[in-house]
Amino acid sequence: MVSQLDRRATFAAYAIFLVLVAAAPLVLDGFWLNRLAKYLVYGMLGIAVAMCWGYAGILNLGQGLFFGLGAYMLAMSLKMASPSSLQHGGQGPVPDFMLSNAEPGAVVDLCCINQGSFLWLPFRYQWFGILMGVVLPVLVAFVLGAVVFRKRIAGVFVSIITLALVLLVRLLLVDAQPLTNGFNGLSDLAWLRAGALEFDPYGTSTYYLIAGVLAVVLVGARLLLATRAGLILRATSGDPQRARYLGFDVAHYQTFFFALSAGIAALAGMLYVVVAEFASPTFMDLAFSITMVVWAAVGGRASLLGACVGAILINMLEATASETQSLVEAWRVIVGLTFVLVVLYLPKGIGGWVHDMLARWSSRPAPRELGNAR
Amino acid sequence: MLDVLLIGLSVGSILLLAALGLVIIYGAMGVVNMAHGEMIMVGAYAAVMTQIWLGWGLYAAIPIAFVLTALLGFLIERCVVRRLYGRLGDTLLATWGVAILVQQFVRLEGGLAFFGIHIEGLGPGLQNMPVPTELQGAFQIAGTSINAYRAFIVASTIVLTLATWLLLYRTRIGMQVRAIIRNPRMAAACGIDVERVNALTFAFGAGLAGITGVLVAGFKTVSPDMGTALVVDSFLVVVAGGVGSLLGAVVTAIGLGEVNGVVAAVTNDIVARAAVFGLVILLIVVRPQGLFSFKGR
Repeated sequence: MVSQLDRRATFAAYAIFLVLVAAAPLVLDGFWLNRLAKYLVYGMLGIAVAMCWGYAGILNLGQGLFFGLGAYMLAMSLKMASPSSLQHGGQGPVPDFMLSNAEPGAVVDLCCINQGSFLWLPFRYQWFGILMGVVLPVLVAFVLGAVVFRKRIAGVFVSIITLALVLLVRLLLVDAQPLTNGFNGLSDLAWLRAGALEFDPYGTSTYYLIAGVLAVVLVGARLLLATRAGLILRATSGDPQRARYLGFDVAHYQTFFFALSAGIAALAGMLYVVVAEFASPTFMDLAFSITMVVWAAVGGRASLLGACVGAILINMLEATASETQSLVEAWRVIVGLTFVLVVLYLPKGIGGWVHDMLARWSSRPAPRELGNAR
Repeated sequence: MLDVLLIGLSVGSILLLAALGLVIIYGAMGVVNMAHGEMIMVGAYAAVMTQIWLGWGLYAAIPIAFVLTALLGFLIERCVVRRLYGRLGDTLLATWGVAILVQQFVRLEGGLAFFGIHIEGLGPGLQNMPVPTELQGAFQIAGTSINAYRAFIVASTIVLTLATWLLLYRTRIGMQVRAIIRNPRMAAACGIDVERVNALTFAFGAGLAGITGVLVAGFKTVSPDMGTALVVDSFLVVVAGGVGSLLGAVVTAIGLGEVNGVVAAVTNDIVARAAVFGLVILLIVVRPQGLFSFKGR
């Protein structure tokens, strides 16, 4: 009974969400569409965190690493396509910051303008940037996951490793100033183009690109987690030892979903570059990675849609609050307070709370215990 | 070379000081306290405020900061951490929320900024804590000039580590804390008031962070967000050293400090920090239980 209603309610929630997302361009102008597109990207990050944390039980405090890697890979190829990279009059495009940093008399070509600049060469092709934007983060996550989960490192130790890794990469990125423009990041990027289609960050095409990817990711992840693999994953996060005794290779499932979650975060990073037109080391700040976890926790870590909507709503509220100068700092107080209260009193987040409410409400004629024991 | 090693030693000392409080908090209570860095920050502000409002120097600030942050820690344990024992991931998130609150409290001058009232020494800007004259300058040992303030930090670290060791291994309450570190349930079954000991442990750990803050204030500018980097470093030390192991924390902190010092001398500060992170990741992967660890937890 409950599961029947549960399924119907979940389906309705997904349908309502997707219709709202699809209908938004009918009422919003370019500026708001651009903003909403960014929030949808954050929603994808919420999904990535919920999959990793809520379902696999892995609290990744370095999700920003994958977001950042995806963002930088695409941003590099969009930088190469930008008019400012072509203006110097040399043979091929060279990013403008490399020119301004070049030593006098250096060869103005990517082969050798500075040490390592040849790494930029393949990014002349946009498909390479897009490909690397997915492949590199997933590969990093896969290797990291394979090592960590095979050694049965669990719990807070995984969190500390991912946390240290994101900060490590961030430092290296900043240190490789001639290659990555250091703290300033990559800005002044070209628009993404696919054939004749150009993705204007303020246009509907970009919005629908992001909304479409979000819909595919959300529904795809939901379906995947409903399969046998998803079920086993939840079993491994509940009690890894028992899952091992039952003969499941826990490390395999953990690594797979960890890498998948990294892939979703990387995709989000790439889309963020398309809509925001920059990539910066702040993507790999610790605060950003923890903020993602906050979104998922408030929205509901064990619910993909909850985490996604949580991320979108929190960002909307934050943007509204930051319009008013005096509210900017107060807003952060509210975030901190909300967070403490949600962890203390709503450990399943708002999504989990709504779910429980629905279950209780639907089972009112039946004995109460039945409604609580799902 | 000796001067490089000494710089490494002073970096390690700061790491150890910041980690000392966490070692016992994390070990005894299984709480990842992300607000630990903010305790250090509050300690630093306590030093600045002591200077501005009372006209007293660094030495007087140390006990004041200790008491202030210990009280704050006690309050946090009572209001938030107490409800989260046994939920390790959640303690991390909740204390991150607390960290934001503490930061904003300083930034908004206790909320008075909304009413246009400003307290000198607080607020979003940068603050400075002057170092006493006898600690400025340098002195010579074996042909190497040693910065007096660095030597002072190393000496303070030795004193505080010894004090913590004595407290843990030579007092009744220390024995109870160690019992809880080994096995909280068994300790409770033996009649130890785990709640009371936990609250005191948390307060003491926070107090140590407060002292760290005063010492850090002597060579770094004080700002509301100075805590985040410090909490990350101290966590790495605690986890790599082994949960609840004082010896592990000492060895790891000094080791990482030396790595930082040597790499920084060869390349630059950024690469040195990266090297520390890389080393810690390797350490955790190779020895997930930490360098020195107890069986059990």
